[in-house]
Amino acid sequence: MGISDVIPVPVAIDDEIEKWTIFGQPVAEVWFTTTEKIHQIIEMGPIKNIFNWGRKNSVYFLMQPMGCCGVEMFVFGAAPYDSDRFGCIPRNTPRQTDVMIMSGYITRKYLPVFKNLWEEMPEPKWCIAIGECAISGGPFYDSYNIIQNTADYFPIDVFIPGCPPRPEQFLEGLINLQEKIKQRKDKRDY
Amino acid sequence: MTNASEVLSSIQSAFPGAVLDSRVESDRRLWATIDSKKILDVCKHLTNKLNFDHYSGSAGVDWIARNEMEVVEIMASHGAHKVVAMLKVKTPRENPSVKSLANLYWNANWYEREIWEMFGINFEGHPGLYPLLLSDQLIGSWPWRKDFKGYPDLTTGERAVAITTPEGYTEYRFPPTPAEVEAGAVVAERPKYPTFREREEREIKSDSEMIMHLGPQHAMVPGPFLLDVLVEGERVKKGFLDVGYIHKGIEKIMENRTWLQGIVYTDRMCYVASLSNNECYCGAVEKILGLEVPERAQYIRVILEELSRIQSHLIGTGEFLTLVAGVGYAPWQYMIIDRERIISLIESVTGARLTHTFVRFGGVRNDLPDDFAEKCKSTLPYIKSRINEFIELFAQDAIYQKRMENVGVLSAEDAKRVGIAGPALRASGVAYDMRVEDPILVYPDLDFKVIVGTKGDCADRVDCRLREILESIYIIEQCLDRIPAGPIKPEAKIPKKVPAGEAYYRVEDPRGEMGMYVISDGGDKPYRVKVRGPFYATLQTLPPLLEGVYIADVVAIAGSMDGCPSEADR
Amino acid sequence: MDIIDSISQFATQEPALFALIIGIIGAAVISGVVNVGAMLVIWGERKVLSDFCNRFGPNRVGGRWGILQLGADAIKLFTKEDIIPGDADKGVYVWAPIVASMATMLVAAAIPFGALHIGGKDYPLVVANMDISAFYVEAALSLMAIAVFMAGYSSNNKYSILGAFRGIARMIAYEVPMGVCVIAVAVMAHSLNLVEIVQSQTLWYAFAQPLGFVIFVIALITDLGRIPFDQSEAEEEIISGYNTEYSGIRWGLLYFQEYNNALLGSILLSLLFLGGWQGPIIPIPILDIISPLIWLFMKVVIVLWCLIWVRASLFRLRIDQVTDLGWKWMLPLSLLNLGWAAVVGSYFA
Ligand code: SF4
Repeated sequence: MGISDVIPVPVAIDDEIEKWTIFGQPVAEVWFTTTEKIHQIIEMGPIKNIFNWGRKNSVYFLMQPMGCCGVEMFVFGAAPYDSDRFGCIPRNTPRQTDVMIMSGYITRKYLPVFKNLWEEMPEPKWCIAIGECAISGGPFYDSYNIIQNTADYFPIDVFIPGCPPRPEQFLEGLINLQEKIKQRKDKRDY
Repeated sequence: MTNASEVLSSIQSAFPGAVLDSRVESDRRLWATIDSKKILDVCKHLTNKLNFDHYSGSAGVDWIARNEMEVVEIMASHGAHKVVAMLKVKTPRENPSVKSLANLYWNANWYEREIWEMFGINFEGHPGLYPLLLSDQLIGSWPWRKDFKGYPDLTTGERAVAITTPEGYTEYRFPPTPAEVEAGAVVAERPKYPTFREREEREIKSDSEMIMHLGPQHAMVPGPFLLDVLVEGERVKKGFLDVGYIHKGIEKIMENRTWLQGIVYTDRMCYVASLSNNECYCGAVEKILGLEVPERAQYIRVILEELSRIQSHLIGTGEFLTLVAGVGYAPWQYMIIDRERIISLIESVTGARLTHTFVRFGGVRNDLPDDFAEKCKSTLPYIKSRINEFIELFAQDAIYQKRMENVGVLSAEDAKRVGIAGPALRASGVAYDMRVEDPILVYPDLDFKVIVGTKGDCADRVDCRLREILESIYIIEQCLDRIPAGPIKPEAKIPKKVPAGEAYYRVEDPRGEMGMYVISDGGDKPYRVKVRGPFYATLQTLPPLLEGVYIADVVAIAGSMDGCPSEADR
Repeated sequence: MDIIDSISQFATQEPALFALIIGIIGAAVISGVVNVGAMLVIWGERKVLSDFCNRFGPNRVGGRWGILQLGADAIKLFTKEDIIPGDADKGVYVWAPIVASMATMLVAAAIPFGALHIGGKDYPLVVANMDISAFYVEAALSLMAIAVFMAGYSSNNKYSILGAFRGIARMIAYEVPMGVCVIAVAVMAHSLNLVEIVQSQTLWYAFAQPLGFVIFVIALITDLGRIPFDQSEAEEEIISGYNTEYSGIRWGLLYFQEYNNALLGSILLSLLFLGGWQGPIIPIPILDIISPLIWLFMKVVIVLWCLIWVRASLFRLRIDQVTDLGWKWMLPLSLLNLGWAAVVGSYFA
């Protein structure tokens, strides 16, 4: 766990710096030994809470309607349910999103696409599975083309059952996710 | 006016011996088995002499007990007469092969590709039998054949093996199960859809061109499908479609569920029009059962279908607006807010927002709540005034007119030829509406206009959709005035098993002509359900419309088609 | 008075060092003011746009008005993973957001943020009071197009390169009419100095040359890349265009600069055409000192509100229509306006 995981430092530079010396001492010792320490401070101190507060209150989601639940996602982001109240707005490019909403069936043909989208998102990122399909295949569980065990492919943080869940449930899922981010209960640590 | 028996006698006199078997179900339905050698000639005859200018799709059926396969061509006419001819062509189960109609009818291409990849029926003379809905891996296992071993498959996900391609992308391979291997899933020579690199190499002629992905994840797509466009600067030269990203195999699943359970799946085909889909399936089954629907139930169905049409058009237009104006544009939010009102009306009856499962064989699930008429009467005038406002707004918006006028023009001839459906077809000036062509329920008693456009450009399509909402409101108001008291379900109990028979039933989905071809073999499950979806037909016409337009127009054209890929992929 | 004495003593003894210190303080203050202002603009846009759309907008973070929403966004973006695409032109990619920030700082250095009214005289608040500041500001404002091109080109993404091309095509088409409008104002004011332009406006130039005002507003919206001229971004067509590949704080910077520019652009518009900080002096102690500031602030807020209004109610134009409008209408009309300004200006002079 280095500082590059906390504050964006290009990895290449991070590695290089370890090799530099100053007055016969490795620079990293003099200058950057604190990477671990900074991280510890962040881990323990109030800064962590500030980071989490920021992340919690600004979850952008990837606009990616996939099935019936996608329509509800559309409504969830629009005026009637207004996810913007919670600082949660849709973005179209995965590079600028924090949470992937899995809103429907994942098929054999779509799985690689979906995985790539997930990998394009920058860390820290979260995943919400919405609807029976995204959780277990739903009504199509025995089809030849549907992936049932999505949790094996994506580290899902919040499951929202329903077929389709109501937009209010989306909001509740979002609030649960925010709570999780705040408490650092998600399995990934940064 | 031509009726079914005249059509039959005309075919019989022109091609003696070509009709092997026939059944005239009613004035509007003709079932005939045609000699597979003569099918092309018969189709030409129908089109040229008898005005069958609407190739509406085709279905494959695997008759494993009889050891033969069947391809059913569905032919209709754009308004000249109201006969639907279901022409069956038989072929043996070993090396099944029939003549392709793709050179006769432009839109036969996709239907035949689908039948080929699902049943393995070869089409002689087809321009390119590439996979359409399935991933390359499944080609060769012919999933919709009755002896397909890969269904039910509860381990699809577990079997996937992740591979990292040289470009750094993740891909998944699904090693076939032993059962699949046995069934011949691994066919060495499988025609593959050209990969992106191959397509790039083949299509790109100069340095100034590139191929751009619009999809499967893109703001433009209402559900995953891939539209590749070959662009030179800002101009699109060619479009390529790749669909099937959310192919769930609904038709296969429905064959393995009871008749009643099937309704649940029709909901999830096109989720913003689920009531029409319910109606289509139930109507077909009722036809086989010979059930009469009580009048009150008919009215309830019509009211709800029209309400669902309103909400579908509202969200479709709303999505279209976000595409051409950005998400900051306020009126699309107003549309979604108005739609919520309609949704709550529907919800007060069916209890669900999207997936209702409300229509039942011979009736509906439950009656209207007591205050429904009052609620409707307070909501609908409001919606009407809002829609009038929207129509006026778009008519006066100079930038909108400049962006939309003469963009994506589809002339009436072309629209008929490519088999496009619904408001997109009517915007081109073809008054083709299932509510008039193939009247069901109480539609013949009701008074409404078929909205047609003049030019067939994007502005027209949106305008048609909005004016159709007004018509729907008018229909609902009439229904509320006339709805009689009475039962909502047939008195007799609906049998678990449906007698052997077949039916083709068409309804006007918000997106256009939706037909379902249901076959029963006398069991408690459907033998085959074929869905002829409207967006499937519309989607196919997208690439030719894109030639020569700007990139900004691509999203406008695609948006004005009001897509629902889930129904196209099924 | 001891402190002031010692400061002036220091200033006379070490003029160079003093200038440096003043410069650093000025830069710090100005960048602080501009950046905080831009944050408020983003927050304001989210709230006002929500209002147009009949929804609430952020209202959970930082109380009922969601004031701290942007703080949360900024913290999140700062702590996001930093992705540089493998195929990107790394140097250019990294520098693009920095160039964008530099462009806005260059503008901020020369633009007057208002004036203080002390003893019957206006003392303009400006870091570098240049002779040609009107021209300089207008030119520096369009440096953003360079940053857009850098970002779009270096991302090695098809959407981005299209966005970059669109940005440049648009900039070229509208920079000329915008410049000509500034010249027309300068002709009437007999100066290119923004302070003098403001002081010469007994009649607002928006009324003295209405045509020029309209053209300048359109060209300004184009320069800021807002709907109906946001083709270089076009969320729905080319997925954020030039910043498709940007993530984390780099994207945050690019995004932020757009709003920085919106703020500075509306200040420029108020200064050139809406009488700047001129307005009746409020006859209340202390308030009379800052009353020019209040006037300018109000004008800028109204201009920004109108920009958001436009965004909520207009469709996006197609890129060929944009360039069409620019070359075929805006340029000839702006020249016509220049003629008008020359005739009327010389008559009144
Ligand atoms: S969970 Fe139900 S509503 Fe959601 S995508 Fe699956 S089938 Fe559709």
